[in-house]
Formats: sequence, structure tokens, C-alpha cells
Amino acid sequence: MEFNIVNPKTKSELLGAIRKENHFRFGAGCTDLLMELKKKPEKDLTVINLSFVKDPLFTGIKKSAKGLRFGAMFTAHKIVVNEEIKNKYHVLHEAAFNLASTQIRQVATLGGNLCTASPSGDMACALVALQAECELMNTSGKSRMVPINDFLIGVRKTALKKNEVLFGVAVPANKKTTTNIHSGFIKIGTRRSMECSVVSLSYHVQLDKNGIIIQAGIAIGASAPTIRFAESACEFLIGKKLKTISQEEKERFADKVLSYASPITDIRATAWYRKEVLYNISKSILE
Amino acid sequence: MKKQLKKNKPKIEVLHEISFTLNEKQVSCKIKASTILLDLIRDVFELKGTKPGCHEGECGACTVLVNDAPVNSCLFLAVNANGKNITTIEGLTNHDGSLHPVQESLVNNGAVQCGFCTSGMAMSIKAMVNHFENSHHVPGEIRNDFPTRDEIKKFLEGNLCRCTGYVKIVDAAEKLFAKEEF
Repeated sequence: MEFNIVNPKTKSELLGAIRKENHFRFGAGCTDLLMELKKKPEKDLTVINLSFVKDPLFTGIKKSAKGLRFGAMFTAHKIVVNEEIKNKYHVLHEAAFNLASTQIRQVATLGGNLCTASPSGDMACALVALQAECELMNTSGKSRMVPINDFLIGVRKTALKKNEVLFGVAVPANKKTTTNIHSGFIKIGTRRSMECSVVSLSYHVQLDKNGIIIQAGIAIGASAPTIRFAESACEFLIGKKLKTISQEEKERFADKVLSYASPITDIRATAWYRKEVLYNISKSILE
Repeated sequence: MKKQLKKNKPKIEVLHEISFTLNEKQVSCKIKASTILLDLIRDVFELKGTKPGCHEGECGACTVLVNDAPVNSCLFLAVNANGKNITTIEGLTNHDGSLHPVQESLVNNGAVQCGFCTSGMAMSIKAMVNHFENSHHVPGEIRNDFPTRDEIKKFLEGNLCRCTGYVKIVDAAEKLFAKEEF
């Protein structure tokens, strides 16, 4: 494994490096990148190392009336220990907490998880349920906001252009009338740690003071070439009282979630198994 | 033959100068861009306590502390050690050569079998001590906020033991927290 490295320290140095380098990869937490390069070295590659870029908008978190705004270099560990995320965006807390292992979470970043664009990305799945937006910055320093579903376009493919970097991620605030949140992340695998999901499900359901669902975000991972937002399943839930959803409605909901799945059979599980599990865990979140 | 010689001709490499704190000592060195922290620790600084296991972040045998946080040194670019504070198992031992309470607890609880995972386990347990100290404990107060057995297991999820001696390892960590001081 051989490569060159550049270590930009500011935003302008980072944008300059993107302009200058021809054949490059970004290195954030590097846990996926190093594994990939160990297995499949790339010739004349330059790694643009993002670890030394000092910019709070790139590394930190900011709360506003619009919601939360993460820098792309915000780590999984920082998400896990953040109380605001734990209480109000529990799905993201659980996804980060179930990611890989304690050691990996120290260095793994939100931006890295998104840009790897794995169909089984844990934090990415939670962000799809939360309907986050990605802030892509080009080399002239101009940003564009891209809905996360348009950002993840295929297996290891994103909408990121050659002259752009994922700078931050914005998560919209919960509704003002929300008094209760039913939010979580279910990861099915053959073991608990260091596992690539066989199937994963993110849900972020907001309830008003009467227990009526006023907003819902459901996303499925490892079930299609990209993480899918189960829009019709979300719409189905709106207006219903969570506690009194009938068995028949739960099944209709699970069918709607399943309609977004087109899983493959691979080394981890068969397509049939993935669908069965997805159907059952979808039903289980309404129990 | 000629062709092969040409192929093996070393390229001119750009070396990066880094300086960092290694087990409380300030050190500096010149490294290749692709040098991994694990190799730097073992081959350049000849500290062989950090064990190479899977080389892919699965087993945790190579765990070291970077600014008090546990990381897999096999997936950590040595360049990123620049300016940081790195602690290896050799730095855990007290200055007089006596064992750190984490190491003592592992020994006293029979948590060492073949020993290959032990240095990584010890570093992860030390990180856990730091974590729970910082997040809950106020010095001088009576501790009643020890991590549960499940929390200990969750924290040590990134460390594998091929002897499967997990019960004793978790015992060692649990008993460490039951003490007043670390």
C-alpha cells in the first residue's frame, strides 16, 4: 500500500488541494479507506487527509431553530455521547452506538459513513430516516444543499462532484407540536459488534400530545442498492394513534416498507431471508 | 533480469516529519505517507507490546490510546499522530516498573491466558476507566455509578480473545471499578 498525502489545515487549503490534485481520495477516519487500499492499492494516489482541517463548521455541531447541523468530520463517538441527539434524534444515537466497535467509533466520521455510500451504512440509514440534507462545497467555496436521497445514488456512489467536498450535514428540527418521539435503529446481523448489517431499519416517528403520529421517517438499509426512504409507509402512519394501530394495519405498514426492498443474496444472507426479517422488524416497531 | 532490477529500483519518496508524545516522552521521526501507527510503534520505536492481530480493525489487539481515546493502531495513519499524545501498554506501567492497577486486576483475576489480546484489552479497559471517570465521577465523592457488566462488555466489544477468556476479563474490569481508586 503506497500513496502520497496532503494535510490541509484550513478550509482554503482544503479547497486548494482539491483543485490541485488529479487522482485523489478523501481520508476522514480512514477506517474504510485503509482497508480498501490494503486490498486494492491505487497507483499514484494522493490522499487528501481531512484530519487536520481546523474549522468548527467542518468538525463540530451547531444547534439552531432549523435543527442540528453537523460538520462532516463529526465522529460517531461524539454522536453517542451527545445528550441532545440521544433525547431528540434517538435513531441517530442508536445507529452510531451500534456502529462497528468502541475503537472504530472514536475515529469514524459522519461524513465518511455517508461518502462510503454503503447500502448498509448505519449512520447513513438514520440520516435518511431523519431526511437530512448534505452540504456540498465546491472549490470556489460555494455550497449547495442536496437531500440525502439524492446524495446516495448507488452502491458506493454519491452525487459528490470531482470539485466538491461534503462539508456538513443538516438534520431538520422535530415539529413544534411534537411532544413524544418514537425513534430507534434496528440492526440485524449474525453478531453484535463489527457487523455489517444483514438488514437495518431506522424509524423516527413524532407524536403530538394526543399520541397521534404527525411526522414519520422510515428508512431501510442493506435491502436495496441504496438506503431507501419508505415514503408510502411514512404517509400511511400519519394521523394514526400509535398505541391503537391494529394488527391488520401493522401488516399493511410492513408490506409498504417491504415494497421498497429489492435485496440481493450474498455471503451474509439470502434475499428471501432479508425480506422476511424486514417484514417482521417493520411490524415490531409499531408494537 | 534487467527488467526486474529496473522494477525494484526504489522511487524517491516524500517523507513527512512528525512529532508527538509517546508514553509521556516527546519524540519525532520521518515517515512515509502510508505508514501505519502500529508499524511505527513496533518497528521504529521498537515497542513490541502492541500486538499486530488482524490488521483490519476487527480484533483490537493493537489498541493504543490517542489523546486518551482507544483506537485500532492498525487503521490509524501515523501522520495523524502528529501533535497527539500516544499511550501504549509500555506507557501504562508505572515509572518504577510496577504494574498499573488495570494490569494488576487482569493478573489477579486470571484474565490472561495466551496473552496475545492482553495488551489491547488492558488499553481498552484503561480507556473505559478514563471514560467513566470523566463522564460521571467527581473526585472525592463516593462512587455509585460503576458501569454495569453489560456496559463493560459493550465497551470491550472491539477486543477479541481467541482463548475466549471473556468472563475473567470482564471480572477484572468489574473489580477494578469496585475499588475506590484506580
